[in-house]
Amino acid sequence: MKKNTHNIFRTILFITITAFVQGIIAQNTPKEEDYYKITKVPVPEGIHVEGGGVLSLPDGSLAVCTRRGDVWIIENPTMANGSKSTFKKYASGLHEPLGLAYHDGALYTAQRGELTKLIDSDGDRIADIYQTIYAWPLSTHYHEYSFGPVLAPDNSFFVTANVAFGKEQWYRGESRVPWRGWTMKISEDGKMEPWATGMRSPAGYGLIDDELFYTDNQGDWFGSGALWHLPKGAFTGHPAGLKWAKHKNSPVKVTEEQFYSQIDKREVKKNGRFIKPSNIINEKNPDFVYKIKEAIPQLQLPAVVLPHGILGVSNSEVKVDDTAGKFGPFSGQVLIGDMGQSKIMRIALEKIKGQYQGVAFDFRSGFQSGVMRMDFNNDGKLFVGETNRGWGSAGNTNSGLEFLTWTGRMPFEMKTVKAMPDGFEIEFTQPVDKASAEDLDSYKAKSYIYKYHAAYGSPQTNIENIKLKGVKVSDDGLKVRIVTDNLRQYYVHEITLEGVLLKGSKNTTLHPTFYYTLNNIPDGAKLNISELSTTRSSSKKGKTTKRKAIKRKTTKAASVLTDTQIQPLLAKNTCIACHNKDKRVVGPAFKAIAKRNYSNQKIVDLIYNPQPKNWPEYATPMAPMSHVPKVEALKIAAWINSLKKQE
Amino acid sequence: MKIKLLLIVIFSSLTMSSQEKQLTLENLNDFRPQAGNWQIVGDVAMNRNIDIHDLEKSHSKSKKKKKKKKRKNRKSALAPVSFFPGTGILLNINDNSKKDALISSIEHGDIKLELDVMLPKGSNSGIYLQGRYELQLFDSWGVKNPSFSDIGGIYRNWDNRPGKIFRGISPSSNASKAPGLWQHLKIHFQAPRFDKHGTKISNAKFISVILNGVSIHSNIEVPLPTGGPISKKETSKGPLMIQGDHGPVAFKNITYQLLKESEVEISSLAYKVYKGDFKGLEDLNGQPIAIKGISKLIDVNVSNEEDKYGIEYSGTLFIPSEDTYTISLEYSGGAKLLVDAKEILKNNSSSAQGVLKTTIHLSAGQHSLSLTNIKSAPWRGPKLGLSIQSSITNPKSFNTFDSNPPSTNSTSPILVNADANPKLLRGFVSFKGNQKRLSHTIAIGTPQGVNFIYDLGSANLIGAWRGNFVDATPMWHNRGDGSFKPRGAVQWTFLNQPIAELANSNEKFPKVATAPDFISKGYTIDKSSGLPIFNHMYKGVSIQNKITPDASNTYLKHTVSFSETKLTNWYYKVASGKMKRMADGSYAINHQQYYIKILSGQTPVIRNNNGEEELVLAVDGSTITYELIW
Repeated sequence: MKKNTHNIFRTILFITITAFVQGIIAQNTPKEEDYYKITKVPVPEGIHVEGGGVLSLPDGSLAVCTRRGDVWIIENPTMANGSKSTFKKYASGLHEPLGLAYHDGALYTAQRGELTKLIDSDGDRIADIYQTIYAWPLSTHYHEYSFGPVLAPDNSFFVTANVAFGKEQWYRGESRVPWRGWTMKISEDGKMEPWATGMRSPAGYGLIDDELFYTDNQGDWFGSGALWHLPKGAFTGHPAGLKWAKHKNSPVKVTEEQFYSQIDKREVKKNGRFIKPSNIINEKNPDFVYKIKEAIPQLQLPAVVLPHGILGVSNSEVKVDDTAGKFGPFSGQVLIGDMGQSKIMRIALEKIKGQYQGVAFDFRSGFQSGVMRMDFNNDGKLFVGETNRGWGSAGNTNSGLEFLTWTGRMPFEMKTVKAMPDGFEIEFTQPVDKASAEDLDSYKAKSYIYKYHAAYGSPQTNIENIKLKGVKVSDDGLKVRIVTDNLRQYYVHEITLEGVLLKGSKNTTLHPTFYYTLNNIPDGAKLNISELSTTRSSSKKGKTTKRKAIKRKTTKAASVLTDTQIQPLLAKNTCIACHNKDKRVVGPAFKAIAKRNYSNQKIVDLIYNPQPKNWPEYATPMAPMSHVPKVEALKIAAWINSLKKQE
Repeated sequence: MKIKLLLIVIFSSLTMSSQEKQLTLENLNDFRPQAGNWQIVGDVAMNRNIDIHDLEKSHSKSKKKKKKKKRKNRKSALAPVSFFPGTGILLNINDNSKKDALISSIEHGDIKLELDVMLPKGSNSGIYLQGRYELQLFDSWGVKNPSFSDIGGIYRNWDNRPGKIFRGISPSSNASKAPGLWQHLKIHFQAPRFDKHGTKISNAKFISVILNGVSIHSNIEVPLPTGGPISKKETSKGPLMIQGDHGPVAFKNITYQLLKESEVEISSLAYKVYKGDFKGLEDLNGQPIAIKGISKLIDVNVSNEEDKYGIEYSGTLFIPSEDTYTISLEYSGGAKLLVDAKEILKNNSSSAQGVLKTTIHLSAGQHSLSLTNIKSAPWRGPKLGLSIQSSITNPKSFNTFDSNPPSTNSTSPILVNADANPKLLRGFVSFKGNQKRLSHTIAIGTPQGVNFIYDLGSANLIGAWRGNFVDATPMWHNRGDGSFKPRGAVQWTFLNQPIAELANSNEKFPKVATAPDFISKGYTIDKSSGLPIFNHMYKGVSIQNKITPDASNTYLKHTVSFSETKLTNWYYKVASGKMKRMADGSYAINHQQYYIKILSGQTPVIRNNNGEEELVLAVDGSTITYELIW
C-alpha cells in the first residue's frame, strides 16, 4: 500500500515536473530546436559530403552520393546505442551525381551525362558494375546538371535536366542539346520517353500520391521558386526546352513560335549589344502564367508557390513525410529543401477542381550548408545532404550531412490550411485561445502574384491588403475559419497570425505565416455573417500601441525604423533572401555593411547597382534590385546605418 | 597613306613567322667543324628495343665468339639507329675515335630555343646553353622519380670545393617518351647579367623548360656552370653546344629567338580621364574631361575610380631600330590602341577582359601613340597594361605595377591521385588540351602511374600519360566547369568511333557515335586489378574494351573482344596519322609520335582516307590485342 502511494507520488511529481518544464519551455518563446533537433553526422576528414543524393537503405544504413563523384554507404548514421558510424566507399569517379534511388539491391544515380546503375555483384558493399542505363547528350556547359532519379511506381526512373546559358546572353537559359530543360522517363532497359518540359533548374523532385512533382527556382521566366505537379506533357514555363517540342516523341505540343507569339521574348539589341531584360517598374499590363495559359493550355501553373526570399531562394528536394507519425504531427505533408537559406519548408496539398494547390509554411532553419537532398530512415529521422559550393548559403560550410529528429514534443503550429469558398480554414496542432483567435486584428493578410516574363525573377506584384470579414473558431479550438471578400484566384495569399495565441499561453504559433496559392476557389456554401466573429481589439480603448507605431511612421518620415518595423520591408523586397542582420549568409550581414560607412544615398545606389567586387569573399554576386521603391530603399538604408551604433 | 597601310599589312603577315630563326639543317654550316660524328640526314629510325650499351657490349663480346655468331651479332648490332640520306635532321653517331660535341657558330645571351629530339634506348646527350649550362638529354622512359641526370634535368657540376658545388636540379616530372620517338623541347633561357665592372648581378636562369608540353622547370636559377662546359667562366654570350660522346641522338626543327633588353621608350605621356557609364569607346566623344595630367608610365589608377571611367593616353613611341614589334595590351572593360593615328588594336566593349596582341613593322624613330580604355563592369577590377617586344628583345612594359598587376591564381589546386587502388574519374576533357571538349569521358589512374582517358561516348581510347593523375580544380573549385586536366605529357590518339561496319574499305569511320547503332553500356570493375572493363553495343553485338598497363608498367595494352564471330565488313581503326612500319613489326604513328604493336596476329592495313592515313584491322569477331607505346 505504501509503495503504491509512493509510486503515485513519484508519478504525479514526474508529470508535474514535465508539465512545468514543458510549460517553461513554452513560456520561454518556443524555438524550432525544441521540436526538431539537428544532429551532425561526423564525417571522416578528407571526405567532402557535398550532398548530391541521400537515400535510406532498407537495412538502416544511409547511402550518400557527393558532388565529387563518390557514393558512400554509412552504417549506423544515427550513431545509435553509443556506437560510431562507419563510412564505406561504394562507388567513385561519377560525374557530379545528384540523386540516388534504390531498387532490387542496386543503387541508381543520375550523373551529368547518364543514368547509371551501380551493382554490387559479390556482396562486399563495393560496386563492381557501373551500368549505363541511358546516356544523354551534353554541351559541356557547367550549368547542365542532371538530377535524379526518382523511382516511379512502374519501376522506371525520372530524371530532370538543367538548362545551359547563352554566351552573349549569359542570363538567358537555353537548351543546346536534347533534352536539357526537360524531364525524362527512363526504363531499366534503356528506353527514354521525354516526359515534360519548361524546366530551368529542376533541382528538386519527388513522388506525392504516386505522382511526379518537382521544384524549380527563381530565374529567367520564373518569378519565384515553386512546387509543380508534373503530369506527362506539362510545360512548366521556361521556354528553353521548347526547342525539342517538335521531336516525334515529345508529348509537349507547344512550339517556340507559338510561345513567342503570345509573350515578348525581350531580346533587344542596343548599339549592337544585347540588353539583359529587367523588370518593368509600374508595368501597365504584366503577363502572368494564368493569363498566358489561356492561349497555351499545356502551360502548367505551379501547385504551390514558394515566395522568393521568404520560403527559399533555390528550392531543392521534395519529400513526403511517410513516417506515420514518427516525425511528428505532419504525416503525409511535403517537405521542401532550400539551398540558399539552408532550411526546410513544409507544404500541405489539396486538390480543388481536380488541380493541385495548397499551403506552404516555414519548417526548420539552421542547417550548416545548403539543403539539397533529404530522406527518412525507418525510425522517422530525416537525413539531410547539404552543399553550397559555388553559390553560398545561410549555412557557411561547403558540405554537410545532418539529420533531423522529432523530439516528441508537440509544437503549436498551423497544421494545415484549406481553401474555402469564402476564405480559408486553418487547422492547428493544439487548441487556440478563443478570444485572440476571434480578434480580427490578430491577423494580417495580403495577396500578390509573380509576373511571367523573360527577366530574372519578379517582385511581388499587384499587392493588396486583405480585409478580413470575420472569423469562426471551432468549439474544440482546433480549427479557425477566416472569411474575406478579397480572395483572388491564382494569387498567393499570405496571412500572418500575429496575435492568435495557444490556449492557456502567451505564445503564438511557432511559424506565424502561411502562404496559400489559390489556383482555384472551391465551390460551396459560404458561412453566414451571423456565425462569424467580427471583433477587433484595436477598436477598444487602450490597445493603441500598434496604431501609434503606424502613425509615427507616417508623420516622422526621417526617423529610423526599428528592427521589427523594418522586417516587412526586408521581407517584401526579398533582402532577407541573402542578408541577415548579424551573420553572414549568402551575402554580408547588415551590420557588416553598416561598418563600411556608406551614406544612406550610397546604400540606395548600391541596392540598385551593386558592386560585387566590394565583397570578394562572397560566391554569388548581388543582382540589381531595381524593383525596390526609392522610399523603401531609403528607409532600409537608414536602418542599416543605425546598426553602427549597436554592438 | 594607302601604300603605307598596305605595306604594314604585308609586313604584318610576313613577320609573324620571322620572329624565330631556324638553325639550318641543310648542311652543317651553322656549326663549328667537328670530328665527323655529326651529320645531316633526311630521315632516321630507331629500334626502341636495342640498348646502345648492349650494342657496345656485344661489340667487345663478339671478339670472343665464333665467327658465325659474330656476323649475326654485328647485323643486329647495327639495328638501333638507321638513317636515310637527305636534309633536315641532325644526327650524331659517335664511336671511340669520333665523339666531338657540336658547337653552334652563333653566340647567345637570352634565348628562346625550340627543337625536336630523338634518342635510342640507353643514350645520353645534353644541350649546353651558352656552352655552359647543361640541360640533360637521356632515355628516361618509364623512370618514376626523375633525377638531374634524367631527360630535362639541369645537370650537376663536378666541382667539390665548398661553395662551388652545384648538385643539379631534377625535372619536376618525367615527361619523356619511349626511345625512337620525337620529343619536343621548349627552352626559355636568361643569361647571367653583369654590371659595368663585370661583376655578376644575376644568375643564369631557366625561365621555363617545357618537355612534350609539360613544364618541367620554372624560373630556376643556375648559380654555376654545370659539368663539362666549354669554359667555367660565366659570360654574357656563349654558343649552343650539344654533347656527342655518349650515344646517338637526332634533332630536327631547331628554332631560336635571340633576345636582349628592349630599348623602346615612351615619352611625353599625357592622359585625360572621363567619368561616366560608357558602353562603347565612341561614347567618350565630346565628354567633359574630369582629370588631366602627364605621367611617366601608363596607370589605370589615374581615374581614381573603380568603375565607370574612360581614360585616354597619348604620347610618343621611340623605336630604336627598324624591326617587327609585337604590341600587347592587357585590359579590363574595352580598349583601343593607335600608332601613327592608325588603329592597331581594339575591343569595343565595356565589360570584357583580356589581352590584345598584334605585330607591326615600325621604322626607327618617333611614332605617335594613343591608347583609350573604358570600363563599365563593377565585377572587374581596373586593368591596363602595355608591353612591347620585338623578335630580338625581351618584352618591356610601360605601365605601373598596379596598373596591370600580375594575375596570380590563388586557388589551392585540387589534385586527384591514384592510391593503393586505381582511380576512376568521369569529367569533361578537352582533346589535345585545347580542342573539342568531350562530354562522356573517363580518366583512369593506376597506382603504377600509367594513366589513360577513355571516351565512353564512342568507345575509344583517346589519350594516355605517365606520372601524376589529374588536376580536378576546374571541376571542383566553386561551381566548376565540369572538366579535369591530366597532369602529364599526354599522348593523344584520335577522335572517331573506332569500330564500325563499313560498306566498303573507303567509307569513313563515324566521327561521332550515335544511337541506335551505338549504345554505351558502362563498365565493370575487374576485381583483381581494380580497373574497368568497358562495355558497349554496336549493331546488336556486345563489345568489351579492356585497357591495362603492360607488365613493366610503362605503356598500355588494349584488348577488344566481341560477343559474336563471323562478322563481315567490320573494321577497327587502331591509329591515325602517317604510319611507318618498324623492324620489330610495330608501327610508328604520326612521324614517330608513338608506336602501335598488334599482338593478336591480325595484319593491319594502312589506308589513305582523304589525306589521313589510318591503321585499320579487319574485324571478324576474334579478339584484337595491341599495345600503345609512347
